[in-house]
Amino acid sequence: MRHAVEVENLRKVYEVKKRRGFKSVKSEVVSVNNVSFSVPEGQALAFVGPNGAGKSTTIRMLTGILTPTSGEARVLGYTPWKDRAKMAFHIGAVFGQRSQLWYHLPAGDTFDLLAKIYNLDKFDYRRRRAELVERFDLGPFLDIPVRRLSLGQRMRAEVAASLLHGPRLILLDEPTIGLDIHARQQLRELIRDWNRREGLTVFLTSHDTGDIESVAERVMIINHGRLVLDETVDSLRKRNTGRSLEDALAHIYGLEMHQAVVL
Amino acid sequence: MSFLRKYAALAWISARSNFAYAGEVGGRLMFLSVILFIFMCVWKAAFANAGQDRFAGYSLDEIIWYLALTECIMMSSPRVTALIDEDVRTGAIAVQLVRPLSYPLYRLASNFGEQTVKFASTALVAVAIAWVLGGPPSNFGTGAMMVLIALPMAFVLDFLGYMLIGLGAFWLEDTTGLMLIYSRLTMIAGGMLMPLDLFPEPVQAILNALPFGYIVCGPARLLVHPDWVSLVSLLWHQLFWVVVMGTAVALVYRLALNRIALNGG
Amino acid sequence: MWKKLANYLDLVYSYFGFNLKAKLEYRGAFICQVTAMFVNDCIWLAYFVMVFDHYPVVPGWTSADVATLWAVTAAGFGIAHCLFGNTLELARIIAMGGLDVWLLYPRALLPHLVLGKMSASSLGDALFGYAVYILFLRPDWQHLLLFTVLTISVAVLFLGFSVLSGSLSFYLGNSETLSESWRNALIAFSTYPLDLFDGKVRLLLFTVIPAAFVSGYPVEALRKMSLVDAWYSLLGASLVLAVSIVVFHHGLRRYESGNMVAMRG
Repeated sequence: MRHAVEVENLRKVYEVKKRRGFKSVKSEVVSVNNVSFSVPEGQALAFVGPNGAGKSTTIRMLTGILTPTSGEARVLGYTPWKDRAKMAFHIGAVFGQRSQLWYHLPAGDTFDLLAKIYNLDKFDYRRRRAELVERFDLGPFLDIPVRRLSLGQRMRAEVAASLLHGPRLILLDEPTIGLDIHARQQLRELIRDWNRREGLTVFLTSHDTGDIESVAERVMIINHGRLVLDETVDSLRKRNTGRSLEDALAHIYGLEMHQAVVL
Repeated sequence: MSFLRKYAALAWISARSNFAYAGEVGGRLMFLSVILFIFMCVWKAAFANAGQDRFAGYSLDEIIWYLALTECIMMSSPRVTALIDEDVRTGAIAVQLVRPLSYPLYRLASNFGEQTVKFASTALVAVAIAWVLGGPPSNFGTGAMMVLIALPMAFVLDFLGYMLIGLGAFWLEDTTGLMLIYSRLTMIAGGMLMPLDLFPEPVQAILNALPFGYIVCGPARLLVHPDWVSLVSLLWHQLFWVVVMGTAVALVYRLALNRIALNGG
Repeated sequence: MWKKLANYLDLVYSYFGFNLKAKLEYRGAFICQVTAMFVNDCIWLAYFVMVFDHYPVVPGWTSADVATLWAVTAAGFGIAHCLFGNTLELARIIAMGGLDVWLLYPRALLPHLVLGKMSASSLGDALFGYAVYILFLRPDWQHLLLFTVLTISVAVLFLGFSVLSGSLSFYLGNSETLSESWRNALIAFSTYPLDLFDGKVRLLLFTVIPAAFVSGYPVEALRKMSLVDAWYSLLGASLVLAVSIVVFHHGLRRYESGNMVAMRG
C-alpha cells in the first residue's frame, strides 16, 4: 500500500530569547521531539493535541512552511520543505478561522481564480466544478457574494474550493467551528463521503470530538512534542466504555510528559 | 537593593511599552527631516539662481523656520474625520446622541487634547531640525509667544473643517477621498509649503479670502515676523471664520440628526 | 521560459480582474477614492507648476518639464500598486504570520503574494499620469511610446522598492511604520527634479532612496528623447527589483527556519 505521509524522527527546536529583567537569556525549546508515523493513502486521520503541544508546528513542517531541525518526511512522495510548490498541486487545505474565498465576491468567482492559480485545464475545471457544486449543494448561492452567506454555506463552499484541483490529501483545521448542528453534520458527511468514495486522505485537526468520531478512523495525539497516542477510533472507544470520547481525550491531554505513554 | 531593581524594572517596562510611541516619534522625525531637507534644497536653489537675499521679505533661514512650524501644525492635524466615520459606522454615535449638542463638543475637546500633545512633540523635533538647517531665528522668544497665542483658534478652525467633512459620513459611503482633498487644500491654500506672501499676487488675493491661511500661514508667519498688528488682525480673522464654520457645522449636524431620525441609523 | 512568463501574466490579468470586481462591489467608495487621488495629484501639479514658473528653482525647467516629472512618477507608482497592491501590506502580512496561507499555493511565493490586493487610489495616480502626459504635453507617438516604457520601468522600481521595504518585517518584527516612512521618503524625493540635490544626498538618491531612477533618468530621457537615459532607468529599476527579491528570500529562509516566529501552538 502506498503511504500518503511518512514521517521519521521529525524534530523541531526553537531558539527562544527570554528576558529576565535587563538580560536576554537564550534557551532552546523543543517543539517537536522525534515524531515518527506513517499514514496510508485514503485514511482519515485526526491529528489532535492541546495548544502549544507541537501540533501546528508538525503540520507546518508537513506542508512545507517550516523546515525541521532534523528528521525526514515525505508527503505524497515529496519532501515538503524542498518541493513545496510542486506538492501544493496535490494538497488541499481548509482553515476554519481563515477563509480563502474572496469576501466581497461570489464563491463561483473564487473558483474561477483558483482554476487559474492551479493551472487547471478548462474542461477538467468545468466538469469538476459542476460535480462539486452538485455534491456540495452550492447551486442556490454560488452567485451570491460570500459575505452574505451563512457560515454553513461558506464552509461548504470553502471545502469544495479546496477540492477543486483534485488533491490527494486534504488538511482540515477546525472545519466545523461555529457551525450549527445541522450544518456541522452536513459538512462531516460530505468530508466522510469524499474520503470513502474518492480515496482522499484526510488530515483533520479539531478540538471537536464529534468531528473526530464522524470523520476519522484513526486518532493521533501529540503532547509535549511527542506522540502520546496512535490508535483507531474504534479501539479507543472500546478501551474507554463508560466514558465519552471527549473525556478520554481530555484525560490524555492532561497527562504530564512522564505519565503519558511515549510512542 | 531589590526595591531599586523593582522600580528600575517598572520604568523599563513602561519605557518598552512606549516603544510603539517612540517608533511613531522616530517615524515623524525621519519624515520631517526628509521634508524640511528637501524644502531647504528647493529654496536654496531658488535664492541662488535669482541672486537675491529675500523673497517678499523672507530670507532663506526665515523660510526654513516658517516651514518647520507649518509642518508641525499640519502633522498634528486631527484624524477627526476618520473617527467620526468610525463612530457613524459602528453606531457608537448613538450613545453620544442622547444629548444632542454634546457630540461635536465632545469631539472638539478630545481633538484639542490630542492635537496639542501631537503638536508639542512634533515641535520639539522640528525646532531641532530647523536649528540645524537654518540656525536660530531672531526674536525667537517674541515670535514663539505670538505663535502660542494664535494656535488655539487655529486648532479649533482646523477641527471645524475636518468635522464638516466627517459629517459627510452620514451621506457618503466613504469620506477618505474627501478628506484627502480637503487636507491637500489646507496644505496648499493654507501656506504649508510657502508663505502666502510668496504666491503670485492674483492667487494671494483668492487665498486670503479663504480660511486655510489663518490655520497654517498666519500663526507660522508670526514666528519669523512677529508683529502685534499682524497678530491682532489674525485673531480677528480666525474669530470670523470660527463663527462661520461653527455655524456651518451646527447646521449640517442638525441635518445629520434629522437623517438619523428618518432612517433609524 | 516564455511559457512561464505568459502563464504568469495571465495570472496577473486574472487577479487584476478579480481585484477590480471586488472593489466595484462598493462602487461609490471606489470611484471616490480614485477620483480623490486624481484631483489630489492635479492640485499638487498646479502648485508645483506655479512655483517653478514664479521662482527660478531649476534654471531651464519649464512647466512642461514639471508636468513630465509628475506624470512619470505618478503613472509608475500607480501601475505598480494597482497591479501589485499587496506589496503595501507586506510588512504587516509577514509580522502577522499571513505568509502561511500563500505558501499553501502551488506558486512561487513572492510573484503570487504581491497580486493579492489592488490599491484603489493608485488607479487614480495611474490615470492622472497618463492624462497629464497626453493632454498637457501632447506628445508625438515616439514620446508616448518612450513614456509608456518608462512608466513600466518606474513601476518595476516601485514594485521592488515596496517589496524591499516590506521585507524589513523579517528582520525587525512589525516594521509597518518604518517601511511606510521609507516609502514616503522615496515618494517625497521623487516629486522634485534630481538636479536640486548634490553631493552626499545625490549618492543617497542613487542607492538607498533610488529617486534617481524615478525622477532623474526617466525625466531626462523624455526631455531630451535620450535612449541612454532610458536605458539607465531600466537598469536601475531592474537592480532595485533584483535586490528586493534577494532580500525577501533571505528573510523568507529565516521565517521558514522558524526563528523569527513566536511559537504558536
